[in-house]
Amino acid sequence: MANPLVPGLLRDHLSELADRDERVDGRGQWDGRELTIEVNPLPNAEGSAKVTMGDTIVFVGIKFQIQTPYPDRPNQGGLMTSAELRPVAGRHYEPGPPSPESIEMGRVVDRGIRESGCLDVDALCIIPGEKAWQVIIDCFAISDDGNMFDAFALAAIVALKNAIVPAERFDVGEDYPLPISLMPIMCSYHKVGGRFVYDASREEEVGGDERIHITLGDDGHVHSLQKGLKGVFTAAEFDEIMTAARQRVSELQEIVNNL
Amino acid sequence: MGGYGDVQMIDEDGKRVDGRGPGDLRPIEIEVGVVPVADGSASIRWGANYAIATVYGPMEAHPRKISRQERAVLDVRYNMAPFSTTDRMRPGFNRRSREISKVTSDALESVVQLELYPRSKIRVEIEVLCAEAGTRCVGLTAASVALADAGIPMTDMVVSVASGKINGVVVCDLNKEEDNYGEADLPMGVLPNTGDLVFLQMDGDLSPEEFQQAWDYNVNAAQAVHEIMVAALADRYGGGE
Repeated sequence: MANPLVPGLLRDHLSELADRDERVDGRGQWDGRELTIEVNPLPNAEGSAKVTMGDTIVFVGIKFQIQTPYPDRPNQGGLMTSAELRPVAGRHYEPGPPSPESIEMGRVVDRGIRESGCLDVDALCIIPGEKAWQVIIDCFAISDDGNMFDAFALAAIVALKNAIVPAERFDVGEDYPLPISLMPIMCSYHKVGGRFVYDASREEEVGGDERIHITLGDDGHVHSLQKGLKGVFTAAEFDEIMTAARQRVSELQEIVNNL
Repeated sequence: MGGYGDVQMIDEDGKRVDGRGPGDLRPIEIEVGVVPVADGSASIRWGANYAIATVYGPMEAHPRKISRQERAVLDVRYNMAPFSTTDRMRPGFNRRSREISKVTSDALESVVQLELYPRSKIRVEIEVLCAEAGTRCVGLTAASVALADAGIPMTDMVVSVASGKINGVVVCDLNKEEDNYGEADLPMGVLPNTGDLVFLQMDGDLSPEEFQQAWDYNVNAAQAVHEIMVAALADRYGGGE
């Protein structure tokens, strides 16, 4: 993450705004940016989604491969998630091998989906011990204006819910929709000007401190947590954002269900 | 070029598998300014191809050793997203994408007025999100529009089209099946205002007459694509040529 030209000034400005209960783009503390979701915009992916949150734009594409199951889990298929932050998505990105940030992003998105149990890995087995599906979630950023985590996680679950298993192409039966039973949703909170806010823009990320990512599933179950970057938070602060997350997750679940 | 002569790709009426005549382009849609954080951007749907190009700069040339006293350096990358193809593409550069990045850069360097920005860098990123034959042409065309959107002075916009041969018939703008089973492929980058060329590749087998036909198809198609490019820019900024 590149440093802003005047980091001190930006931090002071964000902190003054926070003291007045304001945000740099006029939103309230728990308000998200305008959200649009496009289902299956990419015909060569078996399932895909485009998510736009303000000026943040991401794509997620689902691909399938056939692999040999792991010896200790002969009846299970696999799941792999990778996030690519390529230089297309912002002026601060450099070409090169995957950054620690993009690896963290892929892994946090992966954990939320894997641990929620929304994907039945037993159903991905084709021939026990021999053949099983590997589901690959590729997260791809086009425009980074902050909070890529939530954009990726949301696009990933929408893409999975709309994915078709390409069995015919691999000569193992008929195509069928990938069964997704539950809906894990991630909500991220950034400490900006001394308080947590929802859905930080890039300006708030650059001039802020630590971030906390919460993935909740159906009935409020907690599936993954991640604290990132330097900073200290209190149990009371965590309580506050967990309450906000529960509210926002049910709103987002309804939005996804009505797509 | 597969060269499978037994696959019937042209019917008795001379129609192609997707219903086009030999000289017809696939449907093309261009949108300008699709990436809000970039200085210039464009998306292009060309048949089932879908690509996005962004431009950042002119900015400080970094690392400094690439910086040039008398002009800007152009840093062009062409990449295919892992989900852009039928079989998943492993992320990262490969020999093919490096070559395409280089020839794309060579084409754009021929039109961008780099001497106006000494010691700086202009970054051009081409990302193919869905691939259906001809992605290098689609990417180069999108990059030209993105450069125009970024307000980078150019002597002309590069328009890129490929023609080829299938079942012995020369056709314009090969689709995926035609590219797989075709006998030749001739991608070109044309400057529509002068008719000059800045990009040229070819592989396969064409007789002198077939070669001339493919060449003419490309030059004519470039004019049609140029109109779509100009209309997309006019749509964003108003006005026309």
